[in-house]
Amino acid sequence: MATHPAQSFSIVTGSSEPIYRQLVEQVRRLIAAGQMAPGDSLPSVREVAQVLALNPMTVSKAYGLLEMEGLLSRQRGMGMRVAERVGKPRSTASRAELLRPILERAALEARQLELDPDTVLSLFTHILKEHA
Amino acid sequence: MNTPIVRLSSISKHFGSTQVLDGLDFQVLPGQVIGLLGRNGAGKSTLLECLLGLRETEGGSVTLFGEDVNALSDATRARIGYVPQKSDLFEWMTPRQLLDYFKALYPRWNAAKVDALLARWGFDALMQNKAISKLSGGEQQRLSIIRALGPDPDLLVLDEPVSALDPVGRRDFLRELIDGVIEHGTTVVFSTHILSDLERVALDVAFLKDGKIALQGPLDDLLEGARRMTAPGAGPAAPMSLEDLFIEVTQ
Repeated sequence: MATHPAQSFSIVTGSSEPIYRQLVEQVRRLIAAGQMAPGDSLPSVREVAQVLALNPMTVSKAYGLLEMEGLLSRQRGMGMRVAERVGKPRSTASRAELLRPILERAALEARQLELDPDTVLSLFTHILKEHA
Repeated sequence: MNTPIVRLSSISKHFGSTQVLDGLDFQVLPGQVIGLLGRNGAGKSTLLECLLGLRETEGGSVTLFGEDVNALSDATRARIGYVPQKSDLFEWMTPRQLLDYFKALYPRWNAAKVDALLARWGFDALMQNKAISKLSGGEQQRLSIIRALGPDPDLLVLDEPVSALDPVGRRDFLRELIDGVIEHGTTVVFSTHILSDLERVALDVAFLKDGKIALQGPLDDLLEGARRMTAPGAGPAAPMSLEDLFIEVTQ
């Protein structure tokens, strides 16, 4: 069972997505993809706050929401862990669904720039392969 | 428990014929970390100075920890830390002399914290014994922050605390604010133009416009609730960043 460092997380400022929400989505994606497995420990609120230079309350808020959703569980004296999964690993379709919010945002900006879908898709394909 | 630590009720302030504050109301609850935003000249410094009793107000009232700001007890005064926009340090002193001077004024003074900050923020023996007037703007600002943090204040008021600092200095300051101040439940009010820093530490924001607090609330809620107005038929309303919101609210 891995212990994930605070450096697993990253946030951007200047976004319309509040920072706590960015953290929630990141954990959700890492769990969905299996990069965070059941039983893995998450860095403490304090560590994340220090490393990312964030108000600790923002980190607590993200962890609290993930706990409410059942993705994380708080272990007395041990901090946060990834909860034991109920059911099977998530399907490709349900993992892809997690990308929807950010893609909707990109789609909106693409429309504002009057770009046609083919141009946008080929750019996205390029970006995906670039970092693969 | 939720009695405001800071309470400004319908205060006004003119400079000559210019009205800077116009019947302004503002409250800060214990433990809040509030970023004060407004355009240049909106009156943020004036508001903070009135809040601290450094400027007389026209009408209305200001209370800090439940006491009239014009009749603060010494005990309450000692609970407040302030970093002014323009350094008000005694320039003929050295940093060491200045800090020793303030140490003698406060009943509670965290010498260990002050020494740790001096070491971490590059005040070596040489610099600690140099006249403050010989320090750079950034060094003076760091010293001003250390001085304000020395008495472990319960209320910390900062007026553009990082304006003279480079990105590394700003990050050092944010880390200290997070680790040494916010973690201890200190109430913080700070004005800034650096929105990225504000987003990292402020849970609440207040916008000053036309002499009043035009909007105040939790930053997350404001971001999630804000949608840019679009002309009919122009497509879905776009979500807004803090910068968008700043422009929308203060223009």
